[in-house]
Amino acid sequence: MKWIKKDLQQYINAKEYVDTIIMPLSPYHLSKDNDLGKNAFQREVLSVFTKEIETELTGRVMLIPTYHYLKNTNKQDEISRINEWVHDAETQPFQQTFFITFDSSWKKYENELEGTLLWFPSMHSGDFQSKEMHSFIRDQVSEVVDLIRSYW
Amino acid sequence: MSEKKQQVSRRQFLNYTLTGVGGFMAAGMLAPMLRMAVDPVLKPSAAGDFVNVGLAVEDITTEPQRVDWLVEQVDGWYESEVSRSAWVFKDENDNIKALSPICKHLGCVVSWEGSEDYPNEFFCPCHDGRYYKDGTNVPNTPPLEPLDEYEQKVENGMLFLGMAKPRGEA
Repeated sequence: MKWIKKDLQQYINAKEYVDTIIMPLSPYHLSKDNDLGKNAFQREVLSVFTKEIETELTGRVMLIPTYHYLKNTNKQDEISRINEWVHDAETQPFQQTFFITFDSSWKKYENELEGTLLWFPSMHSGDFQSKEMHSFIRDQVSEVVDLIRSYW
Repeated sequence: MSEKKQQVSRRQFLNYTLTGVGGFMAAGMLAPMLRMAVDPVLKPSAAGDFVNVGLAVEDITTEPQRVDWLVEQVDGWYESEVSRSAWVFKDENDNIKALSPICKHLGCVVSWEGSEDYPNEFFCPCHDGRYYKDGTNVPNTPPLEPLDEYEQKVENGMLFLGMAKPRGEA
């Protein structure tokens, strides 16, 4: 389910079946011209990627809005805010949280995040409409779906 | 043609031009009206709602296989391509069946033999919902309805799928 009105109405009636949060983590910045294209592209891929995961597992996961942060920010501050989001979800109750990101800098702080960090290396550019991209994302999604299922 | 230069009177000239321009304007007005009147006839052949899913009929076996395709969808603000999927196979009477993979419980995607414990069944990974091969829900699992079935037709040996309809309507 996504955080949109239509899905939330269904969620409210089926809370006991929805126990997993998916939180995409995506960097944002306007400085550093060289990295702009790459990071914007990765954000687009991340959004498609997480939506596809949500489609496969609609009935049990909640895809919440992407958590954006400045690329070069102090990670400690962000961690405490992210954990605040997690605590809020846990009161509902949600049992599991998966953070999905293409930003490798989170890997170092994995233990401080109150959930499971899934970091994937991503491509820097490419054509969204191409067949290769479709099948690449589809294959990755099915692997991630298997991984998430193993936690249930 | 006479060699003498034909003299066109002012009256004639005006008549010709006015008829010409008038006719042109009338045609301009009538054409869209005509088009509107004929439009419903043209529509089904233009595209219909059926989409070629890229699967040849001869490749369809009794083993369900997943096909994915894209359809254009206009959604108020966005015009986008959305992906659709189906499990396609031939049943015991050699009829093609195309089942929607959307679980009738809460909408996860089911897969054929998705669990080793339940061979020959569709399995929903979210809450262990199960369906028999013909799409009927297995009693005492979360789903309460059978899987939707796609409208289908075959043209030039290729499978075309339309909308997914709840069982009984398809």
